[in-house]
Amino acid sequence: MKKKVLATLLATAMTVGCLTGCGGGAAEQPAAEAPAAEAPAAEEPAAEAPAAEEEAPAVEAPATAEEGTDPVANLIAATTGTVTLKVWASEEDQDLTTKLLDDFKAAYSDVTFDITLGAESESTAKDTVLTDVEAAADVYAFADDQINDLVNAGALQEVVANYTFDVVNENATGAVEAAAVDGKVYAYPMTADNGYFMFYDSSVFSESDVQSLEKMIEVADAAGKKIAMDISNGWYIYAFFQGAGLELKLNDDGLTNTCTWNAAGGTDVAQAILDLTASNVLVDMSDEDMATQIAEGNVAACVNGTWRAETAAEAWGDNYAATKLPTFKAGGKDCQMSSYSGYKLVGVNPHSANVGWAMLLAEFLTNESAQTARFEARGLGPSNLNAAGSDAVQANPAIAALAEQAAYATPQRVGGNFWSPAETLGQILASGNPDGTDLQELLDTTVEGITAPVE
Amino acid sequence: MKKALNAMGNYFKNIGIAFVKGDVWVKLSAVLMGAGYLARKQVINGIIMFLVEALFVVLCVGYAAPNLAKFGTLGTVQFEQVFDPLTMTSTVNDYDNSFLILLNSIIALFLIVVFIMFWIANMKAVYRLQVRKENGEHINTFKEDVQALFNEKFHITLLTLPAIGIILMNILPILVLVAVAFTNYDQQHMPPSALFTWVGWSNFKSLFTDSVTVTFGYSFKKVLTWTLEWAVLATFTTYIGGILLAKFINNKKTKMPKMWRTLFIIAIAVPQFVTLLLVRNFFADSGIVNTFCTSIGLTDFLKNVGLVPSNLSYIPFLTNPGWAKVMIVIINIWVGIPYQMLIATGVLMNIPEDQIESARIDGANPLQIFIKITMPYMLFVTGPSLITDFVKNINNFNVIYLLTQDVYVTSDQLLANSNAKEVDLLVTWLFRLTNEYYNYKMASVIGIIVFIICAAFTLVTFTRTIKGDKEEEFQ
Repeated sequence: MKKKVLATLLATAMTVGCLTGCGGGAAEQPAAEAPAAEAPAAEEPAAEAPAAEEEAPAVEAPATAEEGTDPVANLIAATTGTVTLKVWASEEDQDLTTKLLDDFKAAYSDVTFDITLGAESESTAKDTVLTDVEAAADVYAFADDQINDLVNAGALQEVVANYTFDVVNENATGAVEAAAVDGKVYAYPMTADNGYFMFYDSSVFSESDVQSLEKMIEVADAAGKKIAMDISNGWYIYAFFQGAGLELKLNDDGLTNTCTWNAAGGTDVAQAILDLTASNVLVDMSDEDMATQIAEGNVAACVNGTWRAETAAEAWGDNYAATKLPTFKAGGKDCQMSSYSGYKLVGVNPHSANVGWAMLLAEFLTNESAQTARFEARGLGPSNLNAAGSDAVQANPAIAALAEQAAYATPQRVGGNFWSPAETLGQILASGNPDGTDLQELLDTTVEGITAPVE
Repeated sequence: MKKALNAMGNYFKNIGIAFVKGDVWVKLSAVLMGAGYLARKQVINGIIMFLVEALFVVLCVGYAAPNLAKFGTLGTVQFEQVFDPLTMTSTVNDYDNSFLILLNSIIALFLIVVFIMFWIANMKAVYRLQVRKENGEHINTFKEDVQALFNEKFHITLLTLPAIGIILMNILPILVLVAVAFTNYDQQHMPPSALFTWVGWSNFKSLFTDSVTVTFGYSFKKVLTWTLEWAVLATFTTYIGGILLAKFINNKKTKMPKMWRTLFIIAIAVPQFVTLLLVRNFFADSGIVNTFCTSIGLTDFLKNVGLVPSNLSYIPFLTNPGWAKVMIVIINIWVGIPYQMLIATGVLMNIPEDQIESARIDGANPLQIFIKITMPYMLFVTGPSLITDFVKNINNFNVIYLLTQDVYVTSDQLLANSNAKEVDLLVTWLFRLTNEYYNYKMASVIGIIVFIICAAFTLVTFTRTIKGDKEEEFQ
């Protein structure tokens, strides 16, 4: 009997959830968001938002209907006692997040919060979250490549409704795509700068030099400098194969990959990488090594992301420049190197005891003013269209280069079996294929590893 | 073996006797555990027994039964959650968490086994009471029973806490780990959002299977070989190195032995992971050692000799399989020797001086003394610790992981397809599988294999080295 009641309840809740979920975007946004978007003063809107009313009373408990139809007001009214939230942000983001958390508490001063902030890098958030989803933070930042695994593991609360601003329309389309799985948005875009592009020293390379990798190698060789790229890393080696029109994508099951790197033209790309690295000017180098080598002046150009912008800017001073990735020659024709676009997102843990507050906090941490503050404090490129449109952001060379590269970039959607085989392929090619393995065979084995079934 | 079987036979025979020869009270005790005590006027004992039984029944109904009912499938109800955008709260269904079911079931099974043993002990005890009564012997009062726990049965009192600790900290987790090896607990089946279930021996099969896509078997062989090579090399080199170092420092001609000893102990005082991470950076491809080697021309020399591939401008200390393996062993010598030196110093000081003296008088040279007297003595005393060192090295996570993580990229495609590297030990591979790929099932399988290997080595070598007659042999 009890089960039956629960089932009916769930069913009604689900249909209502769907209705509001679908309708919400169109119906309630104009009313509920507009006043709250600029200022975090979200206490008042209790009065407006009549748009959402039609569906509201259908929700099981009549008590909520009486209390009013503004969700935030409902939530505040329904909240008794202290709201405990755990937040994870990267080590570098601690100061800024602490400040934003204080603002958040001030914005909802009627409620007592107990918010703890932990340090967890965006790039490893998945590892920690998946270890024990129930014990993970209520709100956490992560890189968009992890979204599939996180959604599969049920570690992300779907963003079914927005409360303080329109997440979908106020952020760049790419960022929203990166935050969505199967058309459903699961996270709040925070930055739009997690991709890679080319940094260079403009005293060595001219603007026309950096159009082609072959030309760059020629110039660098003459200047006795190196060009660095982390070739033995699946994330970067993708640039070559994708650039040559070969395919790597995640299958619909969300686990396994489709990869055509061993198809016609694949060996040309492998040969191109061999030729490029044989010069010993384009060198395979890890991110850490790049930092020291740029500082020491050995490296005059590198493929890397905004996180190295500071190192490069310091080492090259006024000559610091950034642009899209160059072209490279594969099988006699020029191919534009592709790249992974990358976004940092904020997610809400569905196992949170205070999901509602966690969602509000996630919105607060990713709204326009927070993104602007993040750019000002750390130089991270905003995904919010207004924040990204500001003059200060437009003038940043690294972010401008990312925007240029964006036309050739694809969001990172790939299954876990990609990394190890691709990394090893890069390692073998960058070290000049020491065993002299037939290139086709080399690619076949790699593709077999990448497309291996996941039991 | 025979002894154990006999003991087991007796164990069950005694219950039989209790059943056949016991009076009505003893028989009643099989159902109502306190009855036998009450009949002999041990009221408190009787009540305690009854309470224990009642508690067990409550546990069975309230805890064991619901969990064990799902033990066969490890749960069938998928996690479902509905978020209500208007109240901003979520509703969660009454879902099954496979892992909790597994864990609770194992605890429940364990409790049931413990209870059965308790029940058997109870049957025997009440029968013993009946016999005592029939023979007109004294029957303890409750107070006397409690006093006994502090006198002749004091070992029970003392060992209770440690025993509970071992059960909670070691035995139960190990049982869970073993059980996971027979499930499909991995990234696709992670509670609470998904369920996992039993898959029998298929994980063990895939460990030994060899095809291009499932290269676990290939990788396992490779990794196991290097693990054993490493364990032998690491144990042997630090052991010999430590003894030699201790000999040098203890030598009468060495000036300021205390200072040298202290210096080496300081090396221990620095946390190992700090040292290792620093060393990793020293030997990085563009690290300080490489800069130095290039400037003195060593890199070019090695290139000419053919030890360094000609397309590299650096020595691949930690990035080429051959170089990395050698470097890891060498760095381990450097990190591990001080410990062995400390042990060796203690032992060397205890070598009976008269033996060495008489050997010297007989005309033995220092090398002969070292080989014929010092080493046998050392081996005799430190044999067991040598074996533990070997087992420790099989599981030497720190050195390998900290030196190669993020630096070493395998160039063996088959290894790469199973997320392994040439320099991986079983334990580091296991760590990567669990921590980066959430492949808990395979990690459990590897864990079991590591345990079997270590247990086998320990058993064989311990029984061989610590046989009672060895001491005589040495004298």
